[in-house]
Amino acid sequence: MATTHIGIGFSQEIDNEIAARNAAFAAKTQLNQDRIDFVLVLSTIHYDPKITLPIINRILSKSKVIGTSTAGIILADSIETRGIAILTITSDTIKFGIGSIQNIEDITIREEGMLLGGNSIADFGKMARQVFLYFIDSHTANNSLFLRGLQEVLGSLFPIVSAGSSDDFHYRNSFQIFQDQILKRSAVGVVLGGHTGVGIGGRHGWRPLGKPRIINKVEGNIIRTIDGKKASSIYEEYFGQEVEELRAHHLGRMSILYPLGIYIERSQEYLLRNAIDIRPDGSIVCQGDVPEEAEVHIMIGNKDACKQAATEAAEEAHQNLSGKEAKLIIVLEGMARLKLLGRMASSEIQKIREVFGPKIPIIGMYSNGQVFPFQAVERIKKPFFQNQSIVVLALS
Amino acid sequence: METSLPQFILVFGLFFLTIIAIVIFWLITKTDKIKELQAALNKMKGSFNELDQQAKLIVKTDLELNKAQEELDKRLAGLDALQKASRLISTTLDENEIFERLQQSLIVDLNFEKNLVLVYDDKKTLNEKVVVGFTPKEVSAIMAQLETNNAIVKDLKEGQTLSSAQIAKQKKETIIDLFNVDHFVISPILTQNGTIGIFFVGNQSDTLTVTVGDEEVISILANQIGQSLENARLFEQVFRSSQALELKVQDRTRELANALEDVQNISKMKSEFISAVSHELRTPLTSIKGYASILMTDKLGAVPEEVKKRLEKINHHSDNLVKLINDLLDIARIESGKAEMQMSAHNVANMVENVHDLLTPQMRDKNIQWAAKIDSNIAPAFVDSSQVERVFINLVSNAIKFTPINGTISVAAKQNDGMIDVAVSDTGIGINEKDLQRLFDEFYRVDNEINQNVKGTGLGLSLAKKIVEAHKGKIWVTSKLGTGTTFHFTLPTEAVKKS
Repeated sequence: MATTHIGIGFSQEIDNEIAARNAAFAAKTQLNQDRIDFVLVLSTIHYDPKITLPIINRILSKSKVIGTSTAGIILADSIETRGIAILTITSDTIKFGIGSIQNIEDITIREEGMLLGGNSIADFGKMARQVFLYFIDSHTANNSLFLRGLQEVLGSLFPIVSAGSSDDFHYRNSFQIFQDQILKRSAVGVVLGGHTGVGIGGRHGWRPLGKPRIINKVEGNIIRTIDGKKASSIYEEYFGQEVEELRAHHLGRMSILYPLGIYIERSQEYLLRNAIDIRPDGSIVCQGDVPEEAEVHIMIGNKDACKQAATEAAEEAHQNLSGKEAKLIIVLEGMARLKLLGRMASSEIQKIREVFGPKIPIIGMYSNGQVFPFQAVERIKKPFFQNQSIVVLALS
Repeated sequence: METSLPQFILVFGLFFLTIIAIVIFWLITKTDKIKELQAALNKMKGSFNELDQQAKLIVKTDLELNKAQEELDKRLAGLDALQKASRLISTTLDENEIFERLQQSLIVDLNFEKNLVLVYDDKKTLNEKVVVGFTPKEVSAIMAQLETNNAIVKDLKEGQTLSSAQIAKQKKETIIDLFNVDHFVISPILTQNGTIGIFFVGNQSDTLTVTVGDEEVISILANQIGQSLENARLFEQVFRSSQALELKVQDRTRELANALEDVQNISKMKSEFISAVSHELRTPLTSIKGYASILMTDKLGAVPEEVKKRLEKINHHSDNLVKLINDLLDIARIESGKAEMQMSAHNVANMVENVHDLLTPQMRDKNIQWAAKIDSNIAPAFVDSSQVERVFINLVSNAIKFTPINGTISVAAKQNDGMIDVAVSDTGIGINEKDLQRLFDEFYRVDNEINQNVKGTGLGLSLAKKIVEAHKGKIWVTSKLGTGTTFHFTLPTEAVKKS
């Protein structure tokens, strides 16, 4: 009989070694299997991976391990902004192929996306592929280009889900994990496949605000002008601050709470883009590509819209499973949602549990940028880079 | 008829003018439409701009709401953390444990990047107790500065909490430089005896500002730390005192145990001495009694009546002396554990009845009434019946002796758990409080008129006590002068034997 075993361990002990040991043992104990096929490590930056990773690897030996730093860990019963969470999977039906790519350069980012896809497929072998999940350093300039590289290897319609590594909202300390290596400016990924069902759903819930504006001039992920004015004027008009002041103090906060929303015809939602930088000439640097001549708005979110988006994402993932029973839910959320929901952050997870049942194992993270299949102009779902979203990945 | 050229030009001209007029009219109409559309467009632009103005207001309000919510969340999280930290540190009385738990709480719950707890020792020197986010070198430098910087320490010693949210610029800059942070709260750790330490939290990141709410939380937590430390120190004092006391008690107990051992040794020696002497006395006494008896039988020749009377006295006193020696031997045997009790189940009512039969003549002489109230449901006593009957005989004999004519002697027995409570009461003269305390001492006799006239050994009650105690029972007496006396004792049942 085909079986899949899931183990999730978590610890927030202060001591690095104790936390790693406790989380690994908890994941191993809950899994209750001698063989471990795949390990996902999510760690807040309070823990030094140089200390924790060797311990985790020693306890969960001979496994395929990937991981990332995060601003917060999502568990079935709580949201934790400090801790180490470990997911272990042993399965006769789900197969795993992992890969990594290091020292991502902005110029060759597309090629590096292709390399990551190639590495992972090589490790996976010739079986039916279902989904590709990857974690990437969110400081890389253009995640859309990286995604495009991946799609060239995996196929443009192949389901891809991704999360940008994050830290404690300082945007400087994120890291990735691949086997026994701790990586920076890198991407790590896993191809999941075999005889398993995958359901993906994603929403953000942010709504447009104010009059529509037109993006006049764009270079990839850099918006030069909006409505014939320098791009930063859109933020200056709303927040009444000069570029320098925005750059110096509040860009991160304003950008994640009020991202730019690009209207996509026939899409259910706007495409969101965080501004990661404002250049001296007033150009806005986004995390992903921006189309030229597109209609753009400042976007605004609220708690109810977030919860509604969580429900819709969970329902979409559930629907995509086509009646199969989910065995595990992986949740990838934008950091802004943690900021916006504050103490009510776990209410989104509650919504997911309402869809999948109260006993469903859940693990997830707050990330800086997400990728998930998104219905846009073509009427067919294609993976797109998004910000501020909640992505629900259900495995049966 | 041919049309002339001028006519043609005129017609054509008229036609052209008409066309021009129509075009002009059409253009005028269109221009109005364009103007209308332009006006509508301008109106729409105005609406959009108005919408944008409203959007700006919404953003402004939303920003304020977000900020307020963030502050509220922070406050609630702070209160949660405070409650958790307070519970953690107030549930231990070990000073080191307090700091360990505090460190855990500061890191996991309060989420400040830098934490420092410094506590003064007996020499008024600061010692680090919790260090998070500082190197040892930085801590040494901070402590050295705090020893010399009177302005900050003065404020803290006056009980003031200082925070970057509300503090004079100069002091703020001093603290920022000293602790290398952008935002901070520094609070004194207060006890009833004043400031005993300093509690500092801070953030280096510009995005993690400190609010008035943080200041309040840290101030409360600092007080809680002070209180917990005070409790721990008081407990330490009490613990040390109790340890000293315990040592003293142990010493005294040891002394008492030694004394008791001495007493027991002496008592044993006494018992052995009594036993040896009694044995040595009994042999010649038996001879004396034997010879006196032979002389009284006239077998060795007629003995004058006067001599016979004296011989009878010798015999009588010899009997008393034998009884005395036997009692002494019994006591010595029981004390030394040499007396073997033949334990078996016996009906208490039967034993009481036997004693009653035996002593009926004496009671009849004084017309004493006998009342036996033996509870019919009591279990058999698991005793050496001959020994227990001696206790009954002793107590009832005493009662007869001290109960006036027409008095009453009653014996009652009832079960109390696994033991049987027995009471032997009389309506005699009673015993005063002073004598009650020594009543069971060997050779002790109450100084009263009856005892002066009736001879006794002073060993009866002592022997009764030894017998009862050999049965794991207790014996005690209650009495009221002029009213009567009751002797109580307990006997085991079979249930006690089994347990």
